[in-house]
This record gives sequence, C-alpha cells and structure tokens, in this order.
Amino acid sequence: MNRSYLDYAAKRIGQAVIVILLSYVFTFIVVSVLPGDPITNVLRDPQNGFSEEEIQQIIAAQGLDRPVLVQLWASLSQFLSGDLGLSMRSNRPVSTLIAEVLPSTLVLATSGLAVAIVLALVIGYGTQFLPRRYGQGLLRGFPSLFLSVPNFVIGLVLIHIFGFQLGLFRVINADSFWATFFAAVALGIPVSAQIAEVLIANLDHEARQDYAAVARGRGISQSQLFFRHLLKPSALPVVTVVALTIGELLGGSLITETVYGRTGIGSLVQRSVTTQDLPVIQAVVSLAAVAFVVVNLIADLVYPLLDPRVKLIGTVKPRPATGDDTFDDRVEGIPS
Amino acid sequence: MASQDKLTQRPDTLSALLTPPLLKVDGLSVAYGRRTVVDDVGFDLARGRSLALIGESGSGKSTIAKAVLRLLPDGAHADGRIAFNGQDILKQPERHFRTLRGRAIGFVPQDPANALNPVRTIGAQAQEAAALTDEPNKALRKALILDTFAEVGLDNPGRVYDSYPHQLSGGMLQRVLIGLAVLPRPALLVADEPTSALDVTIQKRILDLLSRLQHDLDISLLLITHDLAIASERADKLVVLKDGTVQEAGRTQDVFSAPSSAYARKLHADVPALNPDRYAPLRDPGFHRLDGREGTATKIAVEGVSKTFSVDGKSLTAVDRISFSVAAGTTHALVGESGSGKTTTIRLLLGLDEPDAGRITVSGETISGSDRTSQRAVWRHLQLVYQNPFTSLDPTWSVEQLVREPLDRYRIGTVAERRAQVREALANVGLGDHLLQRKPGALSGGQRQRVAIARTLVLRPDVIVLDEPTSALDVSVQADIVEVLLSLQANLGLTYVFVSHDLALVRQLAHTVSVMRKGRIVEHGTVTDIFDTPRQPYTRALLDSIPAGVHASQTATHKAANLRQEIFA
Repeated sequence: MNRSYLDYAAKRIGQAVIVILLSYVFTFIVVSVLPGDPITNVLRDPQNGFSEEEIQQIIAAQGLDRPVLVQLWASLSQFLSGDLGLSMRSNRPVSTLIAEVLPSTLVLATSGLAVAIVLALVIGYGTQFLPRRYGQGLLRGFPSLFLSVPNFVIGLVLIHIFGFQLGLFRVINADSFWATFFAAVALGIPVSAQIAEVLIANLDHEARQDYAAVARGRGISQSQLFFRHLLKPSALPVVTVVALTIGELLGGSLITETVYGRTGIGSLVQRSVTTQDLPVIQAVVSLAAVAFVVVNLIADLVYPLLDPRVKLIGTVKPRPATGDDTFDDRVEGIPS
Repeated sequence: MASQDKLTQRPDTLSALLTPPLLKVDGLSVAYGRRTVVDDVGFDLARGRSLALIGESGSGKSTIAKAVLRLLPDGAHADGRIAFNGQDILKQPERHFRTLRGRAIGFVPQDPANALNPVRTIGAQAQEAAALTDEPNKALRKALILDTFAEVGLDNPGRVYDSYPHQLSGGMLQRVLIGLAVLPRPALLVADEPTSALDVTIQKRILDLLSRLQHDLDISLLLITHDLAIASERADKLVVLKDGTVQEAGRTQDVFSAPSSAYARKLHADVPALNPDRYAPLRDPGFHRLDGREGTATKIAVEGVSKTFSVDGKSLTAVDRISFSVAAGTTHALVGESGSGKTTTIRLLLGLDEPDAGRITVSGETISGSDRTSQRAVWRHLQLVYQNPFTSLDPTWSVEQLVREPLDRYRIGTVAERRAQVREALANVGLGDHLLQRKPGALSGGQRQRVAIARTLVLRPDVIVLDEPTSALDVSVQADIVEVLLSLQANLGLTYVFVSHDLALVRQLAHTVSVMRKGRIVEHGTVTDIFDTPRQPYTRALLDSIPAGVHASQTATHKAANLRQEIFA
C-alpha cells in the first residue's frame, strides 16, 4: 500500500462522491421539470374531492411552493442524512419499503452474476481449445446470440420447459430453489454475453503472445496454459466490464422479477411508477446510482492491486531498456 | 550425473559417425493453406553440436523451429519427417509429444520482453520449468531455480524470483528464459533469434552464455538467426534458407569462407561487420569535407547540453554536459547502449525537449523547444527518419499522401508543384510512380523506409536525423537503405545524425562518431580513429561485441570475456 495508491484511492473516492451527488440532483431536476406534476395530479383528481383552498394548504405544508433549488437542498440533505422520506401511497418510510424487497433482489442479482461469469468462462475456455470441427465457431456466435435475445424471452422459455413441461419448480412459488435458479439463468445469460465477448477477445490476444508459445514450450498442458497463463491477464479488463454490468443486472432484475412473479426492487419500482410515487422513485434511482458508482469504485480500487503492471497517476515509469546491468540501471530517461 | 555427462561430452568423430543424429529433419514442408512456407528442407544435428538456420524474414527459419517444437499455429500443415532421438515428432499424438517439450527440447524465444507472462512472477513461471525435473519437493525445486539463475549470470537470484517480468531489463529476461530452458537439462535447445531484440554488448554476452551452456551441459543447439556473422561464430554447421528452400548447407568454415550459392554470397556481402569499406566511394566526399579539401562549414553545434528528467521522484540525468559538432555534408553517429542518452540527445536536437543547460545551433540558428514558430522553422531544415517503418506510417494513407503531407503542412507550392516534388522525392529514394496510390500495407519493409525517407526529403532539409533507421529491417534490405542514404548524401550534400547501436553499420556509414555512456560522451573522433585506435575501455568493449564472423579462438574469447568483466563489473 504505497503513497501513490493512497493518492489514487482518495482521488477515485472523491470522484465517486461527486458522481453520486450529481446523479441525485439530475434525477430531482428531471422529475420536477417533466410535465405532469404528480402531486397536483392526485390532489386535483375530482374523485378525491379536495377544494382549491385545501390543495394550497397541503402544498404549503409539504413545502412544494418553495423555489426548486430550496426544495432540492432540503431533499438532498434529507437523503444524505439517510432519510428517504415517506411513500406518498402507503405513507410508510421509503427505507422500510426498500429494505423489505432488497434481499430478494440481491439474491437474484448475485446469482445472475454468478451464472453470467461461469457461463462466460465456459464459453471462453471452449473458444480457445474446442477443435474447430466440434463447433468452436458456433460457440463464438453465442455472445451475439445472447445479446440479441431479450431476457424475458429466455425467462419465458425456461419457465415453459422446466416449469410447465418438466415440472421442476412450481411457477407460482417464486421462492423455491429452482425458481430462483432459472430466474438467475434468465438474468445471467444476456449479462454473460457482454463478459464473454470481452473475455474471448482478450484470450485470443493473449494466446497469440509470445509468452503463451514459450509457456507451451515448457511442456504445460492446455488447461494449465488456460488457467495459469491466459486467464488472469484476460480476466483483468473483465473486472471493469463486470462492474459495468451492474446496470444490466439491476434493469434485468426488474423484468425478470415481473416474469417470475417475484417481489423485489423491480416490482417496487413498477408499482411506484404506475402510481407516480415520487419519493420511492427518487430513492430507488438514487440508490441504484450509488450501487453503480460503488461497484465501479471497488473495481477501480481493486484493479491496480491485481495487475502488477498498472502504473498509477503520477508514477510514470519509462519502458525498461534492454540493458543488462542492474535493476536500477534500466531507465532510458524519456517518459514516453 | 552432471559429472558423468562431463566425462562423455563431445563425442569423437568415430562415435559421431556411429551414433544417429539427435535431430534429423528430412523432406520437411510446411504450408499455411495453399501457401508453402517451408519446402523440402532437410538437415541433421548431432548430439552436443550446433547448427544455425540463416535467412531473412519469410525464409521459413522460424517456421522450422516451430515445427521442431510442434508449436505451429492452427491451420499450418507440416509434411515430411522430423526425427528426434529416432522418434518421428510429427507423427506423435500431442499428449505424447508434450512430455518431450521442455524436458528434452528447450526453447529460447526471440523477444524476451514478451516471452514471460506479464502478470505472474518469474518464480511462478520458473516453477513450471522446475516441475519438469520431477523433483517433488518444492523447496528443492526453488533451490534448483535459484542455482540456475546464478548459473546464467543473474546477480540476485532471489530478487529475480520474486520479480514480475516488467521489472527486469531485456538482457536479464533473456538470461531468465535461457535458465528456464536449460533447467530441465534438455538434449536440444532451439534458440529463435535469441539476441535480435537486445543491445549489441548484451547480445555478445547472451551468445557467450549459450555457447558456454551448450558445452558445459552437452546440449545440441539449433540457432535461428538472420545474422551470418553471428551464425558463423556460434555454429558448427550452417543451413542457408531463402523462401523456404535450402540454398546452401554445410560445415561453417566451408559455407562462410567459400559460399557456393549466389544467395549466400549476397548475404555475406550485405553483412556490415564483414564489409566495412563496402560504400567507401559514396562516403569519401564527406571525408574530403572533413579534411578541409572542400569548403567546410559547421552544420550542427551542440555545446555543453544537459537534460534531467524526474522519474519516481528521483532525478535522472539523461544527458550530461555533452558537446559535439557536425560538419556540413557529413554523417555523425551517436553510438551506445540503451539508456546511454542517444534518444534524449536527438529529441533535444529536434526541439522536442528543451535542454536544462547548454546550447544547440543548427545552421547558426539556436534551437529552442519552447517557441512554436521558430520550432516550425527549424523542422523545415531538420527532419527525422524513425526506427520502425512498420509503425511510423499511417496505414490508411496512400504513399502520395504520406510523402506530400509535410508540403501540405507548410503550405509549400501549388498542387501541381507539390505533386512534382513528391515524384522527385520518390525518385530520389529509388521508388517509381506506380507506388503513389499504394497503402503502406502493400509495401515491403524496405519500401516503407524509403517512403519515410522520401517524406523527409520533400521539404529539402539540410539535416536528417536517422534514429536506428535499419534496425527493423532484414540485412539485405538494410544494405539497400544504407546505399540510398549515402547516395542522397553524395548528391544533395545532406548532413546526417545517425543513431545506432550497430557499430558495424556505423563503421560503414559515418564519418565521425560520439560514443555515449550513461548520458555522457566518453569518446569521439573520426570513424577511423575510433574503430582503429579506441582509447576508452568502453569503446573497446563495444567494438569487441561486433560479431567477427569467424570462429574466434578460445584465447581471444577469454581475453574478451576478461575485458568485459573488467568494464562491467
């Protein structure tokens, strides 16, 4: 843990905080600028029977007549102190609503990610070592195929085959192991495509490097070559890709939860959007942004620790010269 | 076991006749699809002996090496017979052959910088080689690795073991790789251009190491090289290849001193080390200028120039109070190893960096890195030819665009005039108009470098800075480029600053030389003075590294080794 790493970490964390704040502000502004003010929509609904006076009272009580910037400041400081406000529909704390459904979504998203990574590894290994005549080309087509099939289609196909035809799980009982498993598969397949695509390209690149031939010249087997040599340098850039797929996982969970009838963040968002429950939407969007930024922050912080070659900002090292003298005598002196 | 080996090493002639060769290649052909790259090649290599495959790129020499190791890429098809210890390598299933790789046949690759996995420690990769010795105890295996590292001349084996490849220099990496290759005590070592990516002094030390290990461990060496001088110094037998076929083969003395094929004779003539005075007539006008027989003017004057960089908080003096001057119409060579400050010097000369102290004048004008306008004015008179023509030309541009670009940038002449100038520049470097619309991808390496030179000529500069202009090229192509450069100098009176670590080439091309070491000029003078009567031990060591192309006698090698130890200790 050297000085330059700490500098780097501090800088990255600072950037992450700024991004989170900006995303909160952005969501807030978008919601308030968009036409169709949900609050007055509800209040002015003739069925609710509020008089104009009552409406003005409520608006004043909620502080909705203040300037937008003041409202933003109030809302932001509330958010930062951990208070997500009350749901307009149920009047329950938004944090409670989210806490109720979060575990289910986390289980689904993590198992979806696990499925995606395993699948990408299998495809990656196959593209390197499956002989051409046994369909290596077919395997290389999988990522683009997976990317182009929407996950609700995959979900429905899986429900049809394993739920209805084979009776492996009860479609209504969404919490059984097999139901979760197939939901994770449906969620993981499109995500695996993104990971596999990058992984295959990197594996191809690494396999062409001299060191791969030299390592084979040391008499190691194919799987030793794959797991000991090719996988790590190929997987390092994938760390970044995996972090980026969190958006995919969050969005995918929403659809998958609907298809599999699971309760989760997805179903919560769906309900809140249809009922224009603004505090919930604002909270979920902000928390999604936080999750996205934090995961990518972790990836950025872990990466230099995994890759010995990564040079951190401010420590530009010249390329080692081809000298033969000592460790310290190999500096040409031109920061290239 | 090792001591027993020593007793039986070097089979005498009789037993060599009786025992079958360790490696026998017979009617080997390799094709990629329909393209045959190796055609009916045959040779044999006795136990403990060495054989060199010589040829230019595309000659099929590396393909043969890969075929022997069975590391040919997918889509390559090998025919014929490669017998190792009497077993046909090509016919064996991969599972069976793998036990030979590393254990019986070791491999030393071309470019040490890319030959080790960058994200694993040297030790982790060395353990793979050590695993081939069937030693079950990990601590003993590590001890064996550290012994081997010491054996190949690595000073601090423990530190090397824990390092990542990027933390070591090229020479150290090549020592590591040779160590890993010989660690399982193979019977055959295949070395594919083991020194072409290294500095000239290191080149010699690595080759010495290979020769020593070959003798000490009784290993057969299959050396692949493009350098006839190196091959004839290091191998008992030579096989000269061109376009995948054998041009000539035989004992080294025979092939080297009396080549019978036209191609081998040409190769011999193109090696700079063997023909120092090849271009004397083209070069003499420059010497006349130096002698003062013709009007002499100082074109470039570098006076007390220093440059310090800050690296990792440490300051590093890349160039330390250097001074030299170059007479108009002559070639000044900067020689030295990587890290000697050559590149920094030319960057300062081109105004890409600004000196911390000192003054550089070209044609009487002071060069300053800070002022854009004066920089542009300087660049018109001062052009650079970059080392590697395979990366220095934009692959999407046509030859015409590439050569015309400087004229466009400086808005010189009308469209028609520019076109005429492009043609003239191309004609000057010996390229015809039919290449105008070609892209770099459709040109050979030599043609590309000619385009790069033509590109500098359109601005009609007085000075061209040549940064290792031939180091990426084959030896015969290199000879062509040298000829082009010298005739341009003779015809146009150009002044060259020539950066190189190839002293043999400097000997052929330059008029004056500065020898650089660790940022300083340790010796300078005319090329004849420096090469015939070097005063500094460092210069002598550099000169000594030029492969002489004959079997140097044992005493000479020892003397040279002692000298080098003296200097580099």
